Amino acid sequence: MVLENKLYDVVVIGSGAGGGALSARLAHLGADVLVLEGGPKIDTRTDFNTHALPYEFPSRHIPIMKPGKPGFDGERSRGLGGKTQLWNAVALRLSQRDFKGRQHDGAGQDWPLDYAEMAPYYDRIEREVGVCGNYDHLEDLPDGIFLPPVPMKCTDVAIRDGARTLGVPVIHVRKATLSRPTATRPACHFCGNCMSGCDVVAKYNSLDVHMRPALKTGKLTLQSNSIVYELAVSSEARVHEVRYFDRETRGQNVARGKVTVVACACAQSVALLQMSKSSRFPAGLANSSGELGKNFIPHITAGFEAFLTPFIGKPSINEEGFLDHAYVPSFMHSKKRDYPRSFGVQFNYQNQRSVGWAKSVKGMGKSYKDAIKARYPAYLTFTGYQEMLPNPDSYIDLDPAATDEYGLPSARRHWKLSDEDMRLYDDMKKWCRAILEASKAEVIHPDPAPTTNHEIGGCRMGADPKTSVVNEYCRAHDVPNLYVVDASVFPSSSEKNPTLTIMALATRTADHIASRLQKGEA
Amino acid sequence: MSTYSTDRRSLLKIFGAIGATCAYPFASDELYGQTTTATPLPETAQHFFNKSDFAVISRLADLIVPETDSPGAIRAGVPEYIDMVIGRNTDQQLVVADGLHWLAAKNFMQLDEAAQYAVLEPLCQSADAGDLRARNVQFFALIKSLTADGYYTSQTGLIQELHYHGNTARARYPTCPEH
Repeated sequence: MVLENKLYDVVVIGSGAGGGALSARLAHLGADVLVLEGGPKIDTRTDFNTHALPYEFPSRHIPIMKPGKPGFDGERSRGLGGKTQLWNAVALRLSQRDFKGRQHDGAGQDWPLDYAEMAPYYDRIEREVGVCGNYDHLEDLPDGIFLPPVPMKCTDVAIRDGARTLGVPVIHVRKATLSRPTATRPACHFCGNCMSGCDVVAKYNSLDVHMRPALKTGKLTLQSNSIVYELAVSSEARVHEVRYFDRETRGQNVARGKVTVVACACAQSVALLQMSKSSRFPAGLANSSGELGKNFIPHITAGFEAFLTPFIGKPSINEEGFLDHAYVPSFMHSKKRDYPRSFGVQFNYQNQRSVGWAKSVKGMGKSYKDAIKARYPAYLTFTGYQEMLPNPDSYIDLDPAATDEYGLPSARRHWKLSDEDMRLYDDMKKWCRAILEASKAEVIHPDPAPTTNHEIGGCRMGADPKTSVVNEYCRAHDVPNLYVVDASVFPSSSEKNPTLTIMALATRTADHIASRLQKGEA
Repeated sequence: MSTYSTDRRSLLKIFGAIGATCAYPFASDELYGQTTTATPLPETAQHFFNKSDFAVISRLADLIVPETDSPGAIRAGVPEYIDMVIGRNTDQQLVVADGLHWLAAKNFMQLDEAAQYAVLEPLCQSADAGDLRARNVQFFALIKSLTADGYYTSQTGLIQELHYHGNTARARYPTCPEH
């Protein structure tokens, strides 16, 4: 074991949305920051197979990384920038109702902070990352600081017009992808390959937009290939050692910080705390409440695929854009219903180089081939995203039987929908089908089973240390120099994509940590 | 034929591998981030089928996606793609061995085109209806899936047949009627 002598102000574990935004902010505020990333260094401009097509590979499977470039080979070893390298960049603010849902319907848990407290951090993050969108003046989806929206696709317009007959709104998508160039980043060029790594960084990623510029402060150290497996605590219940494997040598190392921040993308953050058992914390670090791992509330999705009949047989056009250009914001809050909370719909986010739906078209022979060609311009995805409420059957734990190459147990996700979640799910499906039908779409599989996306919960934030893991500054109730900045801390998920809120919250936490460091309290 | 399991789990073993690589790859906006990447197949495929079996597989692919005013499955290299995928999946190999045996008993390769269609059409209808109980339907559904995946991920299928225009750089995104 190599003992490193340097005591950093802050050691951050993870370099994605939360770790990236927080570490950059802290470095700019003068703190000495070490970021440990499990995966390798990434050069966004050269390392991804951004513009590859399937037929360049005999297997027809486009690998994420170019030949010889490591990265994104496991949950603990993605690479600098984490999942922001491959995300779709949807950037939505939570509303006051999302923070205080319990006050409206008595279900779930409220956040210990509200929209007014978060708004300045949303403002700051939107300025830093660049979010395009339209000012829609919606109560349940607050406007932000927007670059101009990107025009909707013709197929979006068809959905918008169909939805309008049902009184359902369709707005421009809001994305952390530039619709106008900045001093350091070009505008999007609409190649359609956003989720294969944006090689020009028109789409936000935390490495190129937050961390690289912060390197100029001289206060930020990025250390890749460092897979953290344990946080060791001192007798004063403070984290005093961050223990990690070197991904290349397999040797064990230690890093030390006055403050430690866990930002490993929800399930992995929970798993790290659960792996960090000690005599002081036998049930996992910062788990005196017994709530660690509980309250797992991922988004529940209903994924439809459909053909818009007015487009069947039309000439094939380049509609790629930056994947989805439009969005169905939550609209159920104002309607009478027999369940709490709501849903939104992300749609038309498929990439036209993927034709996996062809096998579901009926028939064979010339008519089959013609049917696929005719439907190619008409195909779209349409996926409802619902908020799920916490229940005892939905949690994250460790699977001791499934270990990785370092002998570390896997994070295991358990989820089960309650009756009220199912009522919401069934209603979401009904609305999705109704919107598609009103848009003259032919639905391929009319009754999709629920799936999850956007992992949320497991380190719930709250005012009461008996029922939550961290406080409103994402600081562990039990461990005064430990913070968690990712979606695991969200007390409620809303139906909105979590990343913008992760970044805003991480920035707020960074300000809090910097102020404590300045006062000598950390 | 009665000993084969057709529960969801065993069918997933047969069809799951296809779904993992080709079907619906953008099912969610963080799918890649949350899923450990499947190990890509090695880029040097072994030749799995013998000559006569390869001829039957080629004939099936050709019947499913024939040459029309654009090239069909054979010219798009689909039989070679099927050979490579099945060569690496033992569950699929068992299904295919049974399927080829069943076709041989029908003298499939000696039939004319109309008769070959007549043999396959009931299988296609069951497969399209999602009724995968019969072993020969599983076989047909597998070959159809692989043919569709192989053809529409080929340069022939994606560019020449479907006229995929993406993967380009545009100065701005057009407003709808301008497309």
